[in-house]
Amino acid sequence: MSKDSLTVKGLSRQFGSVLALDNFNINVAKGELVALLGPSGCGKTTALRIIAGLEKSNTGSVTLNGKVITDEAAHTRNMGMVFQAYSLFPHLSVAENVAFGLKMRKVAKKKRDKKVGSILELVGLGNHHKRFAHQLSGGQQQRVALARALVIEPEVLLLDEPLSALDAQVRTNLREEIRRLQLSLGTTTLFVTHDQEEAMAISDRVGVMSNGRLEQIDTPDVLYNTPATAFVANFVGVMNHIPGVRSGKSVSIFGDSYKVRNLDGGDGHVVALIRPEQLDVEEAKKHGNARVVTRSFLGASSRIICELTDGTIVQSLKPSSESGGLHPGEMVNLSINTKEVLIANA
Amino acid sequence: MKKNFAANLVLIVTGIFIFFPLYAATEFSLRNGAEHTHGFAAYRWIFAQSGFIENLGITLRVTSLAVVLNLLIMVPTVTWLHLSGQRYKRLVEILTILPLIFPVVALATGAQLAMPDFMQNSVYELSFFYVVIAMPYTYRALDIGLSGHPLSTITNAARNLGASWLKTLSSVVIPTIRPSILAALFLMVALSLGEFTLAQLLHWSTFPVWVTNVSQQNVIGATALAIGSLFFAWILLFGFSFLGSKNSTTVQEEE
Repeated sequence: MSKDSLTVKGLSRQFGSVLALDNFNINVAKGELVALLGPSGCGKTTALRIIAGLEKSNTGSVTLNGKVITDEAAHTRNMGMVFQAYSLFPHLSVAENVAFGLKMRKVAKKKRDKKVGSILELVGLGNHHKRFAHQLSGGQQQRVALARALVIEPEVLLLDEPLSALDAQVRTNLREEIRRLQLSLGTTTLFVTHDQEEAMAISDRVGVMSNGRLEQIDTPDVLYNTPATAFVANFVGVMNHIPGVRSGKSVSIFGDSYKVRNLDGGDGHVVALIRPEQLDVEEAKKHGNARVVTRSFLGASSRIICELTDGTIVQSLKPSSESGGLHPGEMVNLSINTKEVLIANA
Repeated sequence: MKKNFAANLVLIVTGIFIFFPLYAATEFSLRNGAEHTHGFAAYRWIFAQSGFIENLGITLRVTSLAVVLNLLIMVPTVTWLHLSGQRYKRLVEILTILPLIFPVVALATGAQLAMPDFMQNSVYELSFFYVVIAMPYTYRALDIGLSGHPLSTITNAARNLGASWLKTLSSVVIPTIRPSILAALFLMVALSLGEFTLAQLLHWSTFPVWVTNVSQQNVIGATALAIGSLFFAWILLFGFSFLGSKNSTTVQEEE
């Protein structure tokens, strides 16, 4: 990755009494794919729309390749965008839809046709030039929208949940295709989604948003293994909430002491945020601290759902070869295989 | 079987209800006076009456201006209401119904006074009144057309691809809702071509006023005029339908 292509500083946007975006900052390097991940209403689409020029911000600035474009109109920004809803122009054919942006840029017809042909080949719709939107499946429509956004050679490609209206299989295929195209064309891309699997699968970095703020932005590995806040820990991946007692910089869980990673808050009863693979399950020789509820075989690994003595349900992920002896109703001993844990208020 | 019979019966009865009076009127309009023969004498009589071309010309010019004014006002307004003026939609809906509530005579005697003098002295003042009278119909035709499309998304897409607002309206919004615009246009034309009361009250000689006057001289000619006007309206309707379905025909060819 080279220097930043897109720089967003201190964006805020208020709708009535609702603060949709609160001091939002992000840098996207040239050729990088960054996902903005968060629950509905967290401000990710608002951020994208402000960057695209389709929405005004109350404060902050947007810089594209060194040029401040905060006050520029949407149609002069040279950004490609794919929307959540199907956005093909119904009166135009596939080829005409893709050519629309080039026409607006007054590209000569011969060159335009060549570019349209190439990009449609690239998205696998080389023989659909003359079709209309209503003759295409949802996946095909989004491919055309992607081709339409890419053919203008945008400085930044903005993807606003482009896969959310599609069924699971098409979603998986198309997200891989988006990544393949993005890598081959080297297009700087900002991808908004509420689907963590989607974000983690294809992004160089993922920014997790909550209440209009960017909670953490990092690589998928870092986000999953060392989340900065309880919100990120809960939002990304599956998380167990195990009761413990905090005392200073350590927390006691299942009788053992662990270092607390997030030191805000006071002593007392807390919950430790533990990933299923960080929770070990062993058959109890005498009295265990949990009871097996179910064991689900997932192939190489198995999911073991357990109930703690206080009724809390937790889950552990173990290699199937090591968990064959665990049966529902059996007492087991749970332990944590990490030294540092994140905690949240009980 | 029973269902088919009932459906056919309804179709036949409806057909008789609609076409029998038309047939009777057409047959009557083709009678040659007291003789028991048929021909086009009544139709020839229409063209022989003085003022036919002049009054038809006036009505067509007034109608054309009304159509242009209507589309220039209504298309951007309804588009804006759908894009960012949702909270005013209810108010506009109520406003567009007002022409149905107030009698036309109120427009003729009241609203005319609000017009500048040069407009009051021109037959084209009727165009402005026709725009108002047609508003309940044209607004709804356009509203339905726009409601059927994700307007916000496609306009955002057009803007994002480099189209200015004007270009977005002309290259994306208008072609997308072309069938609705044509429906609004047809309603506007039909209303303007047949409007009598306002023109009569404001002492303008338009085609419907001329038709009323000449009809009093010849009952068969009057029927021929009615049939002629009806066919003219039908031709217009088919013309608009053809223009509206041009896109969908192309689509079917591709399938």
